[in-house]
Amino acid sequence: MENILEIVNLNKSYNGIPALSNINLSVKAGEIHGIVGANGSGKTTLMNILFGNPIIRETGGYQGQISFRGNKVNFKNCAEAIRQGIGMVHQEFALIPDMTVGENIKLGRENTHSLTDRLFGRKYSFIDRKQDYENAGQTLRRLGISVDVGIKIINLSVNIRQFIEIAREIDRTDLKLLILDEPTAVLNKNDGLKLIEILKDMSDHKIGIIFISHRLEEVQYVCDKVSVLRDGKLVSQYAKGNIYVNNLAQDMIGHTINKAAAEKREMENKPVITFKDFSVKMPGEEVKNLNLSVYKGEILGLTSLSGHGKLALGYGMMDMYPVDGEVYFEDKKLVKMNARTNIIKGMYVLPDDRQGLGILADQSLESNIIFTGNQIKNMFIRDSAFNFLGFIDHRKTNLHVYKMMLDLDIKCTSIKQKVKELSGGNQQKVCIARALTVDPKLLFVAEPTRGIDISAKEKILNMLIEINRSRNTTIIIASSELDELKRVCDRIAVMVEGKIFKILSPDSSDVDFGLVLSGEEGVDCEKL
Amino acid sequence: MRIKEEASRLLDSEYMVPAIFIILSYFAWQFSGLTGSFVFNQVVTRFIRDGILVLSLIIPVVAGMGLNFAITVGAMAIQTALLIVIAYQVEGIKGILLAIIIGVLLSLVLGYVIGRILNRVKGKEMITTIIIGFLFNSIYQLIFLVGFGTFIPVANKEIILTRGIGVRNTVDLGMYRNTIDKLGLFKIGELEIPLFMIIIVLLFAAIIFYILHTRFGQEVKAVGSNMQTSEILGINTDMIRIKVMILSTILAAFGQLAYLQNIGMFDVYTAHMNADIISCAALLAGGASIKKARIRHALMGIFLFHTLFIVSPQAGQNLFNNAALGEYFRSFVAYGTIALALIINIKNENKFS
Repeated sequence: MENILEIVNLNKSYNGIPALSNINLSVKAGEIHGIVGANGSGKTTLMNILFGNPIIRETGGYQGQISFRGNKVNFKNCAEAIRQGIGMVHQEFALIPDMTVGENIKLGRENTHSLTDRLFGRKYSFIDRKQDYENAGQTLRRLGISVDVGIKIINLSVNIRQFIEIAREIDRTDLKLLILDEPTAVLNKNDGLKLIEILKDMSDHKIGIIFISHRLEEVQYVCDKVSVLRDGKLVSQYAKGNIYVNNLAQDMIGHTINKAAAEKREMENKPVITFKDFSVKMPGEEVKNLNLSVYKGEILGLTSLSGHGKLALGYGMMDMYPVDGEVYFEDKKLVKMNARTNIIKGMYVLPDDRQGLGILADQSLESNIIFTGNQIKNMFIRDSAFNFLGFIDHRKTNLHVYKMMLDLDIKCTSIKQKVKELSGGNQQKVCIARALTVDPKLLFVAEPTRGIDISAKEKILNMLIEINRSRNTTIIIASSELDELKRVCDRIAVMVEGKIFKILSPDSSDVDFGLVLSGEEGVDCEKL
Repeated sequence: MRIKEEASRLLDSEYMVPAIFIILSYFAWQFSGLTGSFVFNQVVTRFIRDGILVLSLIIPVVAGMGLNFAITVGAMAIQTALLIVIAYQVEGIKGILLAIIIGVLLSLVLGYVIGRILNRVKGKEMITTIIIGFLFNSIYQLIFLVGFGTFIPVANKEIILTRGIGVRNTVDLGMYRNTIDKLGLFKIGELEIPLFMIIIVLLFAAIIFYILHTRFGQEVKAVGSNMQTSEILGINTDMIRIKVMILSTILAAFGQLAYLQNIGMFDVYTAHMNADIISCAALLAGGASIKKARIRHALMGIFLFHTLFIVSPQAGQNLFNNAALGEYFRSFVAYGTIALALIINIKNENKFS
């Protein structure tokens, strides 16, 4: 097999700070090449260079040589990379939310009518929408996904979007090299396996694949070759047969990691929040007539296959989708769901869509941390006769933000740094810091470790346990990472089709969880 | 609870603004005492007069650039072309064709310039187009007030002020007047329907529909929805936006041509001035927003807006017995529409859907 991609002595720095140094890498046709590395190890920079992201040029280009299919290349923009046959599945999804599934999949490659082709050229030729939808439907069926191609992306849940993102690339006939950035991060185990089968099939068709993932088991399972990046350097490479999760993890981090684990304990069954026939109308992730009591001081895990409603509960509490039913918080009925009053009452929700709803990306770390506290509880107002003007007390703010920064170990250049410049793990810490600022009695966290590297993951989980133990904050963690829930939670509620199906003890076996998740009756579970 | 939800959904829907217009128009019509056929004929006239101008706003909205108030620039381009043709006395169909060619070329260049400018002020396109409109207006006035007769020689002395410099306030388009309006005109009782011009307007609507349903159109939609994503999908967003502005300006030039030939003469210094406000108001009246516009919004909006525009001055006059009130009513209706539509639309956009 010949190399379709060869990277020789690649160097890249941002404002004098090296992001990549001396990377040598090659990918053969039909090879699945895994790239692993902690956040900030340079994976994203490498991908941006390969896919011709304009940000690389804007920050001074790169040194070194990249050959694609034998030709030296230096892409000016993504369009050029795409024309050469490189495809990319983006972690944050490059989907147009207002367009339908079919339009997104066929964007830029629409079928057109031959008559207008001849009259005006393909770019200005009339689109054959029906043919497009048919093609898109076929591609989705190849992926084993059944979704109406006429539905808009904005109405779909994150895991389906992931498959649409992949379908867009697979639909291309000219694809030579596919880069996948954390494609399984938002998928549950089953969907992840499905995706891996698809990748294997593509590799059989001689398409080179670069696979970036935090899930080392998957990397071990699927990759022909793995490169480990750490601090912008290529620290090791393993070929199939020599890939072991432990080695990868050690190379990534440079030291061994301690896994977070909460001690078991006895809980008082005093509910802090009770849902009665609670429904949330979130498209693709609906909660239907859910009944659930969450006890004071516990950590409750909430899990389900994607689309069965685990994420919607938090959104419902923040009034982002229409809700129905009754909710009692500390024995008082909540008349109306309203984010502001709920925060004042002591509830706080950290959504799974961190980029869109979790952070104010263009604002500083400081504003992000104090935002909710200041806006809702006036916590950082300078005390004077002009309180109503809402001047911020900078001394108080600095003190608080620095304390949070130290407590949560947030890595940043200064508290004025924009949050979008931080890594995923640090962004999540900022979110948690913001939640802690308002000191909630009930904290709802959705997918807290999604898209975060393994060492940061454990830190986040430890942090949640710590918050729960020291502040007696009740925490609900909605996550598809069963392994993490089992280590952290007191109880794990499994949802099926929008309802609580069973509540299991974290000690239950994986088999039991597997059965319950797929809605099988007859699993013995302790009455909790 | 359910009823309340339903009611709020109804209030938030895109039919809210059109519904208000229908109700207001009906009452204003009752008070105005105008006959139905008169109103109908007037509205049809306005439809063929303003139709293309309103349609020229759609593509920029789809591209996420908001309402293009700089369509006045396209209008000025075609006026410049007409003045040149008249100044050199090219008559008849030949003149019209020459004017179109010059107007389109000018619009192409100016649209490109506007597109380049707007690429530097992403996110603030609307206010920028308003200012660009004003800027080009002053350049335009400068050229025709001072330039004509001095460094631009003019063969046709009729359109020059008696002092020999500058164009007259009003220029007659007698030689082109109603050349195409009367084509295919037929009457049903008192109703007059200029079939040919209606078809022309619908033809432009079809052209826009066509453009939006090409690969280029899909790219425009993608850019309008999310610029960064479009960029990594391999779309040259800056180029798309420039092309959109060129298209809009050219369409506006055609729109103004239809407008002027229908009126039959034009006020050199003011004919283009309200083209943007009236067109934007009409589009919004049809239920469009600054983020979403469809052809049906434009077509419906022209009818709704102009109905109110025609009957409201008369209604105001009858209600308050004051003839001067009419004009105030008109500007109230135009600006009121824009304000109302903006408020309702922004409220809708804030809703998490």
